[in-house]
This record gives sequence, structure tokens and C-alpha cells, in this order.
Amino acid sequence: MHESIDANRPDSYAAANRDIIRVLLKPNLGWAVLFIIATSMMLYGFWCEFQQLTWGLGIAGYNPPIMWGVYIVTFVFWVGIGHAGTLISAILFLVRSRWRTGVYRASEGMTVFAVMTALLFPVLHLGRAWQVYWFFPYPNQRYLWVNFKSPLMWDVFAISTYFTVSAVFFFIGLVPDLAVVRDHSTGLVKKIYAVLALGWHGTDRQWYHYMGAYGFFAALAAPLVLSVHSVVSWDFAMAVTAGWHSTIFPPYFVAGAIFSGCAMVITLLLPMTYAFKWHAYVNMWHFEHLAKMCLLTSGILTYAYGVEYFIGWYSQNAYEWGIFSWRATGEYAWAFWIMVFCNCVAPLPWYFRKVRTNPWALFIISIFVNIGMWFERFNIVISSLAHQFDPATHAYYRISPIEYGIMIGSFGWFGFWFLLFLQTLPAIAIAEIKEMIAPPVRGAAHVEAK
Amino acid sequence: MSAAHAEVASGTRIKGIYAHLDCLLAGIEKLKEAGISGFQVLSPLPRHEILEAVYEGRPSPVRWWTLVGGITGINTGLLLTSLTASQWPMINPGGKPVVALPPYAVIMFECTILFGALFTLAGLIVHCGLPGFGLDKSLQDPRVSDDKFGIAFLRASAKDLERIAAILSDTGAIEITRGDDTIYEVPNA
Repeated sequence: MHESIDANRPDSYAAANRDIIRVLLKPNLGWAVLFIIATSMMLYGFWCEFQQLTWGLGIAGYNPPIMWGVYIVTFVFWVGIGHAGTLISAILFLVRSRWRTGVYRASEGMTVFAVMTALLFPVLHLGRAWQVYWFFPYPNQRYLWVNFKSPLMWDVFAISTYFTVSAVFFFIGLVPDLAVVRDHSTGLVKKIYAVLALGWHGTDRQWYHYMGAYGFFAALAAPLVLSVHSVVSWDFAMAVTAGWHSTIFPPYFVAGAIFSGCAMVITLLLPMTYAFKWHAYVNMWHFEHLAKMCLLTSGILTYAYGVEYFIGWYSQNAYEWGIFSWRATGEYAWAFWIMVFCNCVAPLPWYFRKVRTNPWALFIISIFVNIGMWFERFNIVISSLAHQFDPATHAYYRISPIEYGIMIGSFGWFGFWFLLFLQTLPAIAIAEIKEMIAPPVRGAAHVEAK
Repeated sequence: MSAAHAEVASGTRIKGIYAHLDCLLAGIEKLKEAGISGFQVLSPLPRHEILEAVYEGRPSPVRWWTLVGGITGINTGLLLTSLTASQWPMINPGGKPVVALPPYAVIMFECTILFGALFTLAGLIVHCGLPGFGLDKSLQDPRVSDDKFGIAFLRASAKDLERIAAILSDTGAIEITRGDDTIYEVPNA
């Protein structure tokens, strides 16, 4: 692994093309094993959902008043995972950050598939999945429109907009690279990629409008990514429930989303870089930046956790202080301390350069962060509902086997699409990698790489 | 159809392939100096020097699509929320006004982004001419997605053909094709 973006960079555009597309449609044993595992997990999740559809939500672990369980926890988790992709592809594009180039395509793919996964959970949580169209405003004879004053309806619009814009941004970025794959393939494969490339041939007219549009997509996606998790946080913060009703939720949720998303990028990209030998394009320089992003957002989260406790204590509100002290000492204390360890303590070794440039340390700590961020949502969702104002309603929620199965299935679903993406689409942005390579020049004119 | 239009419509394809960016830029400049227009530049990546030379800093009109999309979106968000709430004003959840702008601002914001992005996509498709499956075959050169550049005229008038060929070869084109015939080629380039 090299520690600079310039190290080991290919010397020609053709070499970059070859390096990046050589792995397409050539599944190796490792990929096949992972794909079978992911598909099996996904099918198990489908079976569990079939059981839930057959028998109803009774086989989930809901225990009144805890009527938001693992489905909402995992929904928020997957929405959060998606955020790093848009941060890297849109915000870092707007600020012209060079380290985004190698990692943004895979991160964008991760975003699209993570949001696809997140979108499943409100439907699963409904129980009666066939009534999902009730989410959307549609004309009907009863004049019964959705309630746009509800944060849950804001969420429907935020997540569906986020998915649409992310998918468009992802696909538009892919078009010039699909043309490269088309021009390097033959037969039926060439025909398929020709259709996907939409007749892209790199004319000045195409590049001119493409670059204009790409900047606008980035400019639209940047505020969107900040708004989406803010809206998700309002699902909680707008409710008058102790532990939820807080103004710090939007920045706290956005920081958490970027934290978990960057950790997931490390988890996914590190093995991929070694498996595909892509060290010339993605190397420790990129992972170090991702680790620094995690460190920054971990600091913000740690501060937010502290502020929540300070507010609970300083407000002298018995319910507020009651829920926060119960979180750390009550029946769900184990989940709270897992969260604190994974999100506040585990990333600290990344302050040392030796640790954040060590592949094993990066990978293991990123897994801890992923676990910690799932437990953060578990803490927020479950503990506040389990310990509400009236002690007579205090309850305990146990995740049922069906819920475990559906949660495992969601990881399988995500893995299925991500692995398929790695084999069929360029996971590194070829056109943007070419911008990093000094162009071929013959004369004395010296033309810099961008 | 005027005589000039008839000449252009019946013109000849001519294309030069370049291996070097500086040669391509020289070719574009020479063509502009000679007052010859109507060419397309082929490139494996978006180089700002090429776009600057061809479009001279003019911004893409796609931006207007984004603006119209954004304005359409914010109005759609406002109308959708306000009109649906007004259709049955008896339902008043949360004790808020029937048309309550603060909660509706979230929907208006999301619609602004959504419509802005979709209109931008539409603008991109229209202005880029996508899907471009019917592009002239001289613009479909697989070498361009690899590492070569090109200057192509789809219909060069007969009086310009010789001048164009001379400019392309003088500025370092490694291959020049006229119609379907290669009229100039640098061996092993």
C-alpha cells in the first residue's frame, strides 16, 4: 500500500481503463463464496418476512408501548450508512477534494444500495405490506390525504427524494465509464453495455453539458444529504417523549450518519482494494482520510452524548434525567455501553498514524463503529419507548427470531446488490481517474493533471 | 433549401485522430483562426482546455433546467400540501393551522431538490442528445474512450476539405479519414 495519491499511478489513460475494467464479469472464488453467503442471508430474510406476512406482526417482538423495534432501528442504521457516499461524491466534489476520486464510485454504490435496503423497513414495519401505497398522497373519493404536518410524511418525501437523486447521480456518473466498458467488450455483453451507455461517445457537446449538469447534481445532493438525516431525526425529536424531544438531534444524527457511513466505506473498500489489486487507485492515503473523517464525527458524537446527559441533569426535568440515567444503568445498559465503547472509545487509536494506516486496525475498528452505530439507534428507539412517563407502562422489548432473520436478510440484500455491482459496473470512476493522470503531450507545452 | 445549405447537407465527413492533447488544442485553434467551424471534438475525459477552446467559457444551458425544476418543485410542494389540507379543513392534526408553512417547508424543500434533479437530468438528456445511438459513425470511435482525441466534421464543404486536412496533419493528427478512406496515417503512432 502506498501513502500518496501520486504513488504508483498509471501513466496512461489506456492503462487506467485496463486496470479498472479487468475485474468485470470475471467472478473469482472469493467473490462467489461471498455472493452465495449474501444470497442465502437474503433468502432467509425473505422467508422470515413471508412468515411475518402470514402470521402478522405478532411474531415480531413488539411489546406495548414499545411499538417501534428493530425494523425502525435498522431503517435508521441503513439510511445513515448511505450518507457517506453522498458526502464523498457530492460535497467533496464541490470542495474539489482530491482524495474522493478513488473511492467515490464504490461509496455512491453503497449509498444507493443502503437506501434501497432502508426503504424495505418501513414496509416491513407496516406488517400489512400491501397497504404501502397509503404512504403516498393519491387522489381518492374520500378526500383522505396524507398528513403533511407529520414528520413521518416528511420522512417519506425525504427518503424517496434521497433515493431518486442518489440513483440519478450514480447512474449519470457511470455513463462515460460504461462507454469505456462497451468499447472493450464484444458480442452480447457489448450490446448490453451499449444500451446502458446511452450512446455516449465523448463528444465535446456531451462533456460540456455533462460537466454542467454534474455540478448541479452535486449542488442539489449536498444539502439533500444534510436534510435527510435531519428529517429522520425529527421522526423522534418532534415527539414529546423523554430522550427524543431534543433540538440537538439533527446535527447529532447527521454526524452519526457520516461516522457510520465512512466506517462502512472502510469495511467494504479495504478488502476490495486487496482483492482487485487496486492499490494504484485506492490506497492508505484514502483510508487515512476516511479514518480522520470518522475521528472527527466520533468526537462530535461523543460531545453530543455528553450534552444529552448535561441537558438531562441541568434541566432538572425528572423524566429527562430519568431516561438518561436509566439508559446507562437499567435493563438496556449493556446496549448503552456497547454504543459508548464502539463509538467513543474504539476509534481513539486512529489518532495514531501507525494505527490508521494499518489495514487490519482500520478494518477491525470500522467493524466496531458499524456495530456501535446500530446500537446507538437501538438505544434511542427502544430505551425511550421502554421507559416512558408512567411507570405502569414500562416494558421490555426482546428481538424475536423473525426480526433477527429479517435484519440478517437486510445485510444479505445489501451484500447481494453490492457484490453484483462490483462484477458488472466500474467500481472506480474511470473518467475521473484519467483527470488525475497527466495527459499525453508531444510538444514543449506542459499540461498538468487536474 | 439554399445553395449553401445544400452544399453543407451533401458535405463530406472528415476526421483527425490525435495522440496528444497539445496537438489537439493546436488543431482547434488553427481551425478557429481559419474561420472553419462545425467540428466536434472527441475526448476520453472532460479536459477544461478543450471545453474552453470550443465554448469559450459560456456556461451550459442545463443550468436553466435546474432553475426551472427547482422553482417548479417548490411550488409543487406548496400546492400539494396546501391544497390537500384545504380540501378537508375539518381535519386539523396537532392543532396547527390548516395551511401551516413551517411543517410544509420540509416537503417544499424535498420537492425543490427532487424536481431540480429530475429537470437537470432532462436537460442533460436533451442537450447531450442522449440516448445517442444514432450518432454519425465518425463520432463512434472506440479509441477515443481509451486514450486518443479527435476532431470530426460530419459535413465539411468541398471547398474546405483540403484546408481542413492540411490543418489536421500540420497540427499532429496521427490519422485522417475522409469519408470512409484513410488519407493520412502516421505509422505506429
